[in-house]
Amino acid sequence: MTRPQNAGRGAVFLVDDDVAVQRGVAALLTAAEYHVETSKSAEEFLSKLESLDRSNAVLLVDICMPGIQGLELQEKLVEDGIDLPVIVMTAHGDIPMAVRAMRNGAIDFLEKPFTVEEVTSALDRALSRPRSANAPARAAQPQLTAKFGTLTPREKEVLQGIVDGDTNKKIARSLDVSPRTVEAHRQKIMIKMDAKSFAELVRMAVTLDMTSR
Amino acid sequence: MKPDLEDIDGALSELVIETVDTPVVILGADGSIVRFNSASERLTGYFADEAIGRKVWDFLIIEKERDTVKSIFEKTQGENTPTHFTNFWKTKDGQQRRIEWSNNTIRNKLGDVSYILATGIDVTDQVATEFALAETQAYLRSIIDACPVAVITINEQGLIQSFSTEAEHCFGYREAEAIGRNVNILIPEPGHSQHDRYIKHYLETGEKKIIGRARPIFAKRENGEKFPAMLHVSEFKDGTRIFVGFVEDLTHQRMTERRLEETQFQLQHAGRIGAMGEIATSIAHELNQPLTAAASLAGAVSLNLKKTDYPETKDAIELLEDVVGEIRRASEIIRQMRDFIRKRKTEKSLHRVNKVVEEATAVALIGAESAGIKLETDLVEGLGELQMDRIQIQQVLVNVIRNAVDAMQETTEKRLKISTSRIGGFVEIRVEDTGPGITDEMMKRLFEPFATSKESGMGIGLSISKTIIDAHQGKINAINKESGGCVFTINLPEGAYDEAAKRR
Repeated sequence: MTRPQNAGRGAVFLVDDDVAVQRGVAALLTAAEYHVETSKSAEEFLSKLESLDRSNAVLLVDICMPGIQGLELQEKLVEDGIDLPVIVMTAHGDIPMAVRAMRNGAIDFLEKPFTVEEVTSALDRALSRPRSANAPARAAQPQLTAKFGTLTPREKEVLQGIVDGDTNKKIARSLDVSPRTVEAHRQKIMIKMDAKSFAELVRMAVTLDMTSR
Repeated sequence: MKPDLEDIDGALSELVIETVDTPVVILGADGSIVRFNSASERLTGYFADEAIGRKVWDFLIIEKERDTVKSIFEKTQGENTPTHFTNFWKTKDGQQRRIEWSNNTIRNKLGDVSYILATGIDVTDQVATEFALAETQAYLRSIIDACPVAVITINEQGLIQSFSTEAEHCFGYREAEAIGRNVNILIPEPGHSQHDRYIKHYLETGEKKIIGRARPIFAKRENGEKFPAMLHVSEFKDGTRIFVGFVEDLTHQRMTERRLEETQFQLQHAGRIGAMGEIATSIAHELNQPLTAAASLAGAVSLNLKKTDYPETKDAIELLEDVVGEIRRASEIIRQMRDFIRKRKTEKSLHRVNKVVEEATAVALIGAESAGIKLETDLVEGLGELQMDRIQIQQVLVNVIRNAVDAMQETTEKRLKISTSRIGGFVEIRVEDTGPGITDEMMKRLFEPFATSKESGMGIGLSISKTIIDAHQGKINAINKESGGCVFTINLPEGAYDEAAKRR
């Protein structure tokens, strides 16, 4: 239940089975003034969960691990009523899986490898999130819906393809346009939706309940 | 009591009448019997003195023919030429004999009928034989017509003599149209114009080129369509020579074969793509981990340097940013490679589960390894259709079945059982073998990529299978049976799928 004085920007519970990744990311986050607590598996993390101070903390977990996987860990936390913001990491770039994680309540997802800026902005957003459930998502919704309303029908179709995890090429084929046109639509969508990253765009789509179950 | 036979050559006639082995009866003008020769006695069992004086239809003719015989008798009296007819006589002991009669009238000088001479031939046995023969022919014909291959007979001139029902279906000619025409109407060029020569060559030399062996040919239908067929020819010689041709239409068989070949090809293709995709995903994952570590370490160093005041650190930080940039570039290349190979989205449509299983089984059992394996299938009826990507599901099935076949290479008992059933909202497909089963160690990593117990093979088959079944929201499991061997079960949801399908 103790936390060092220099907790700085908050606590990060890092769960990743790859030791090198653990060491690298921990070094990065420590240098960025976070307090880092590492576990090499979901099981290990769960075993020490009780002893951790979960105030001002975020769980940064890899989706793909042996044993209990990232998604299952997240589901288990939700089940147990443990209110801890979750950010999932994926080395697969598996968008549908990330979408599923976010539907389950993950705050964000990060595609490995990530930059200092990407990881710190994701962590800070998660840490600044008011605790308890989906209140902020609801509050943001009218604004989001208004932004979504500015998209053309074609842009909405492209966005649907993106959050379904389709590649530009695949979207182009299904809409019978060129991949370059899809890329143009994609950039327009990012601007209209005011999304700074792909993950943010996906998060918006999840909030808008656009994603398929 | 002897009739007056003055007007015929008495003694000779008498001798002839009594000697001949056929019934001879002389009737008076009123129909009563005046002569009843010994052949008639033998035939009927009546003695002449029992018969003479009685009317023939009163005791010799079967009941239903009595009126007919009477009317013939009356007609005969008005005619001068012999009349012929057939009727049945009833013998004393109740048997019926079929007699062919020739009747003639004997007239007096005034031209009035004084007698009617009836000579008969007992054809009972002959008719029976003929009937039996006709029956045999009808029987043969029914066999030929029920024959699933076309049966055609031709004579030495190549002219069609008979044309079975299947020949009618197959070639499109009616039997009546075909009979008498040259069989070359059924043969496309070049055989068409050569066929007469073939027969002539055989008749002259006796050299058999096609008789007695099966040969694949092309045949021609009435509408001109050419089709692949298997031809057997045999020869029948009984006075005249007849050639019998059996023609089996292979169009459908070829189509089935072609469909299997196509499925096999698609499966191989899907298998290769699946394998590459699985490898690409694995590589992407495995490489991205160290790249993440490296980028993070570089980021950590960079952040730490930023906290110092040394002027040299500015350059170092820039260089470290380049390092991170290069790492991201490497990662991007991996992503592109994976996206290029991997994302073949499942293309689902409705397919009959049992048919999918049957086809996959057929494809999986092609090849030498399957020799000696006893296949048992138990596909439950009424499973209906399921939304699925047929090729992908068949890829899984082929993979699982091949594994089972491979597992039984060394075992003496080689039994493969494939069954389908419906269990609580799922359709279950089971593949059971009698191989050595799966080791505990292997069982733990069964569906992970690059896990294999085989010397050849990369160990990604089951990993791909799991990916595919997951994409179908189903389950794939393996357990060892207590009796030895293992069971793979594949469960596909019956309902959940429609929703996914609707959304598209």
